[in-house]
Amino acid sequence: MSHPSELISAYLDGELHDSESSQLVDHLAGCGRCSAELGEMQRVRSAVRSLPVLELPVGIVPEADPVVVPLRRHKGMWAGVAAAVVAAVIAIAAIVTPEPGSLTIEEMNSRFGARASLDPAFGPAKVVVPPLVGE
Amino acid sequence: MESIPLTWEEVARVYGRKIYNFAYRLTGNPDDAHDLVQEVLLRVRRGLANYQPGSFEGWLWRITRNAFLDEVRRQKRRPTAPLPDEVDRWDRASSDSVDVEYARISLGDDIQKALLDLPIDFREAVVLCDIVGLSYEEIALAVAVPIGTVRSRIHRGRKMLKELLS
Repeated sequence: MSHPSELISAYLDGELHDSESSQLVDHLAGCGRCSAELGEMQRVRSAVRSLPVLELPVGIVPEADPVVVPLRRHKGMWAGVAAAVVAAVIAIAAIVTPEPGSLTIEEMNSRFGARASLDPAFGPAKVVVPPLVGE
Repeated sequence: MESIPLTWEEVARVYGRKIYNFAYRLTGNPDDAHDLVQEVLLRVRRGLANYQPGSFEGWLWRITRNAFLDEVRRQKRRPTAPLPDEVDRWDRASSDSVDVEYARISLGDDIQKALLDLPIDFREAVVLCDIVGLSYEEIALAVAVPIGTVRSRIHRGRKMLKELLS
């Protein structure tokens, strides 16, 4: 009689039809070779299933869409903040500079204008402007 | 009625860990598994718009195993980066970081190494069955082969594992 070897794993996985299952069980009762294989496959199956479940590493999921900042609504506020920061920088510079007369307008623009352009508050070009509703 | 995740973020939340475990057991390497999960999620993100109601898991695992096979083919074209199951075990150990090797040793390593020694078709079938927990019918759908082929691959894969582990 042939040995229905390939039915053994499906039997362990509960993937046989009733008739196939009965056929295999009858065969196993009288076949030492297939009974031994059943035991071996059971051990291998358990070994693979005993591998630890690994947790998903943090940060593995790609970033979601960037948040759209409604720049238009706050444009007036940012412009005011920008002007205030520039004014404050100039005022402080005027106070702490030992010889105010030695600093020209060009030098002040060069020194503080560059700093202002690096300030995140001055970066509207990086922000997405949403379509206006009702205009 | 099948409950279908609406967004790729939900897919990531619900299936991310399963996809990672599938990817890790197929590649044996956390870095490759990491890359594969990200690739799968990007494909899910692109594909959800055109998803037709049916077997969501079948669709998801088809995407996942296709992403894996694409990576295998890509590495095949790169002569300096052989397939994981073609790499000599000691070469692999020497080229990895200490952390990666430590993780490999500490995670049931004999079984993991034996899995990597299986031909890809058998490894994939065994991992989808025993790690992911799919039914034979779901595996057949994901791999696009008849259910009899799935049955055969799982059994032959386990027999090879038995030889490798003994």
